[in-house]
Amino acid sequence: MSEAVATHAVHEELGFLRTYVFSTDHKMIARQFLFLGLFMMILGGLMALMIRWQLAWPETQVPGTRWIPEPFMTDGYMNPAFYNTLFTMHATIMIFFVIMPILVGCYGNFLIPLMIGARDMAFPVLNMLSFWVGAVAGVVMLAGFFVPGGHAASGWTSYAPLSAVTQYTGVDWGQNLWCISLIILGLSSLMGSINYITTIINMRAPGMTFFRLPLVIWSLFIVAILLLLALPVLTSALAMLLLDRMAGTSFFLPAGGGEPLLWQHLFWFFGHPEVYILILPAMGIASDILSVFSRKPIFGYRAMAFSMIGIAFLSWVVWGHHMFQSGMSPALGFSFMVTTMVIAVPSAIKTFNWLGTIWGGSIRFTTPMLNALAFVSMFVVGGLSGIFMASTPVDIFIHDTYFIVAHIHYVVFGGSVFGLFAAVYYWFPKMFGRMMNEPLGKIHFFTTFIAYNCTFFAMHILGIGGMMRRIYNPMQYEFLHPLQPINVFITWSAIALGLAQIPFVINFFWSLFAGRKAERNPWKANTLEWVAPSPPPHGNFDAIPVVYRGPYEYSSPEVTEDYLPQDRQLVPQRVATAH
Amino acid sequence: MMGWLPENVSTYGKDIDRLFYIIYYITGVSFLLVSGTMVVFLILYRQREGRRATYVHGNTTLEIIWTIVPAIILVVLSFMSQASWGNIKGRVPPSEVHVQVTAKQFNWEILYPGPDGKIGTADDLQMDNELHVPVGKVVRVTLKAKDVIHSFFLPNLRLKQDAVPGREIQAWFEATKPGRYELPCAELCGFGHSGMLGHLTVHTADDYNKWVKEQWPSS
Amino acid sequence: MPRGEVVTSIVDVGTEQRVEIPSRVGAPPFTGSPSGRDPFPWSPDPMVGPPVSNARLGMLVFLAFEGMFFAGLLGTFLVFRLGSQFWPPVGQPRLPILVTSANTAILLFSSWTMRNGLRAMRKGDWDGLTTGLSWTALLGTTFLIVQGSEWLRLIRHGLTLSAGIYGATFYTLIGCHGLHVLGAVIWLLIARIGLSDKRFWARRQVGVELGGMYWYFVVALWPVLFALVYLS
Repeated sequence: MSEAVATHAVHEELGFLRTYVFSTDHKMIARQFLFLGLFMMILGGLMALMIRWQLAWPETQVPGTRWIPEPFMTDGYMNPAFYNTLFTMHATIMIFFVIMPILVGCYGNFLIPLMIGARDMAFPVLNMLSFWVGAVAGVVMLAGFFVPGGHAASGWTSYAPLSAVTQYTGVDWGQNLWCISLIILGLSSLMGSINYITTIINMRAPGMTFFRLPLVIWSLFIVAILLLLALPVLTSALAMLLLDRMAGTSFFLPAGGGEPLLWQHLFWFFGHPEVYILILPAMGIASDILSVFSRKPIFGYRAMAFSMIGIAFLSWVVWGHHMFQSGMSPALGFSFMVTTMVIAVPSAIKTFNWLGTIWGGSIRFTTPMLNALAFVSMFVVGGLSGIFMASTPVDIFIHDTYFIVAHIHYVVFGGSVFGLFAAVYYWFPKMFGRMMNEPLGKIHFFTTFIAYNCTFFAMHILGIGGMMRRIYNPMQYEFLHPLQPINVFITWSAIALGLAQIPFVINFFWSLFAGRKAERNPWKANTLEWVAPSPPPHGNFDAIPVVYRGPYEYSSPEVTEDYLPQDRQLVPQRVATAH
Repeated sequence: MMGWLPENVSTYGKDIDRLFYIIYYITGVSFLLVSGTMVVFLILYRQREGRRATYVHGNTTLEIIWTIVPAIILVVLSFMSQASWGNIKGRVPPSEVHVQVTAKQFNWEILYPGPDGKIGTADDLQMDNELHVPVGKVVRVTLKAKDVIHSFFLPNLRLKQDAVPGREIQAWFEATKPGRYELPCAELCGFGHSGMLGHLTVHTADDYNKWVKEQWPSS
Repeated sequence: MPRGEVVTSIVDVGTEQRVEIPSRVGAPPFTGSPSGRDPFPWSPDPMVGPPVSNARLGMLVFLAFEGMFFAGLLGTFLVFRLGSQFWPPVGQPRLPILVTSANTAILLFSSWTMRNGLRAMRKGDWDGLTTGLSWTALLGTTFLIVQGSEWLRLIRHGLTLSAGIYGATFYTLIGCHGLHVLGAVIWLLIARIGLSDKRFWARRQVGVELGGMYWYFVVALWPVLFALVYLS
């Protein structure tokens, strides 16, 4: 909070390296995370398309892949082991190197200091390290493709013993690098969490009480705590997996007295909070954007904050619902079923509150708003399809089928990724000082929304038809033959979904250099980031703002405009009523 | 959407399907309500000249209602589910037929105890990927795995159970209709996971006796 | 707003607030939601600063991470410990309780020397601080040497990392703690060296302070591990 240091920093001329590469400015680090995430998203998306091609037209040449050498592809024909690598890495990349870096890394970094009225994070150097350690993790993860034996191929969940013994998959250093990369990424997230939590607790502007924080800050605060407590458990599990692979221990190997289910318990103890780590920031983003473009206060601010806290607490006691069919004691099934059903309640509360927010509003259909609305409706589908799995008997049938694949994509793509797009469109003017192009944005939104639903909704049908996840060739199974046209349809939709991202890429880079210059507060929003110049300089604010009210005072009767920024001081002049 | 479920041929399958329908209708109605409301709101409350958004921060009564109603529905669903769950996975009813299935990369080794009904005796018979059972009889399956985790999946019997190395897991089913059904592996088990496929043949009583005679001609 | 009054005009004093606000300004009254009070009406006071400094808070957050890391390893240990009839398994050596008890005492004693050092630092007593740090580092090193020699003995008796789940959990859990102690000792030594020039010691106090917190953590963790791994 040292005023002198921060003002000094504004005037200091930094070299190229310190400004763009080893920057300690939270906004530059945010941009770095954004570019890392978007780059990885392209990789992950291409992998998804290869997976889809194989499923629709098994054992045909995948177009454009003849350059991929043996043993991955044979002249464009995919080998089963490489198929396993592809879905493993698709999930790993999308979860750990796209959604987490963008939603948590980029928007956490960008928004926390700006929205709480601070000049930077509490520990700027640690913040810089957080990005670079994360980038190293990314390099290690990608390096796995180039080692003998290929990359990890035991699914992103890496169930032991498949992942613990080299000869079960034939993957040697690929799996080791996978573990090492995630351990390094854990350190990066740890640094981020330390910064987020400390900054939010200690560096809020005067008057910015906890219940005046924007909901997106609440969500990031809760995510930081979840990350902090969930990741070390994954780290310890990964360390044990590595020891099993490299030092001859047998934590997860029954032959040496180990227990395969222990991996699943540890993994999902991390994994379920992780799912909420992916979705909570999107919830916060959607809450903010819905309120801004409905020109209306968020409905039930406190219920929104408390339901996020409730989700965070409950997310620690639901992990067993991933393991109903794993051989875990069936008696535990009931308790995990009940907790899982209960965790749907705070999500339901949030959904109704979002509806309450748009009710009676004056809705502007901008691109960020459309994406936020898509987030809400898609999250509803993802949440509701989760109830099928929560019911233990129904889960017997749909567990490990495409129903699960449909569900996770409705939550993680329909939820997190639409939230991510909403955030990119909404904060782009603040981040880069230029507006994104609206018509292109709308084209991107509508094509994505339609192609997305065609792709993933149809997967529910595959799941109900009994199609297993992670199979290489559905045509090997007679009972799946009638479903093959759906697989073809999904693949065409997935290709359309991929193509639908082209307008986004064009829009993003075109706007970056040639977009209309943004004013300070183009959306007429209340929160503090819009008080700073666009883009904010090092040090963010001309002067630290003082906060007088909550973040969602839209259409307040106290002022003639339909917004009332958090830092605007109103001095009412009172006179006696004349009757 | 319901037509896509594979034909059910097990006794408890109809309980699972019934629950599936119940959840399907509840979630379907919820989805229509939520998205319908949303669309109506989007049309009604679109930006129009001269109209200002309502300035409200919430409504405690509404909040309480939409907390309690879903909570009740979900808890009721839990208890409805628990009955069938306990029936299917919680216990194995008295069974007349017993087989031991050992999963390995990438086959199901199916071990029949033979006429003496005991596993580990001389008249045991092992077949790869071929499971033969009689119709209308409770079949107990002892699941084992040699290397990695596999999952014993009978889509038509609505049965799925992981086979975990180092453990013996009991499962059961009772088929209601003769026929030949597929038995895929549902848990990723390596590069041969896809194509790890067995078959379940459900025989009529007469057929089953004939099959037993063929396999164990001496007895 | 009191009954009988209406707002006739509103003076907007603008968004460009200066930061020169009076000390102890506290939070302006909460007007965000008419339906509720603010249950946590606190924001850091710019004149006084937050009650827990950034550095200390960051360290506490880091220690929470460390705690969960050990919780993962301890959970694993307990799963195997509670799931087996014989512990140690047949044919595996018992753990050296007597020596390790003495070692526990050494480590616990080091928290007292650490405390003395930190107290001296807050009083501005350079000599007391450096003595405290040296003693703590010495005791920590002793702990590590004793642990190491016991490990060598255990390995000679056939308790290795790959000799089954007993050795694996033991070395992973106790080894991770050992690595943490080693890290803390290195930290203390660096802090001690940094303090040797008395002129600069004021600016290095934060590092010592955090080192102290970390030291308390590794010391406090040890009795838990000792009780669960050695005594149970």
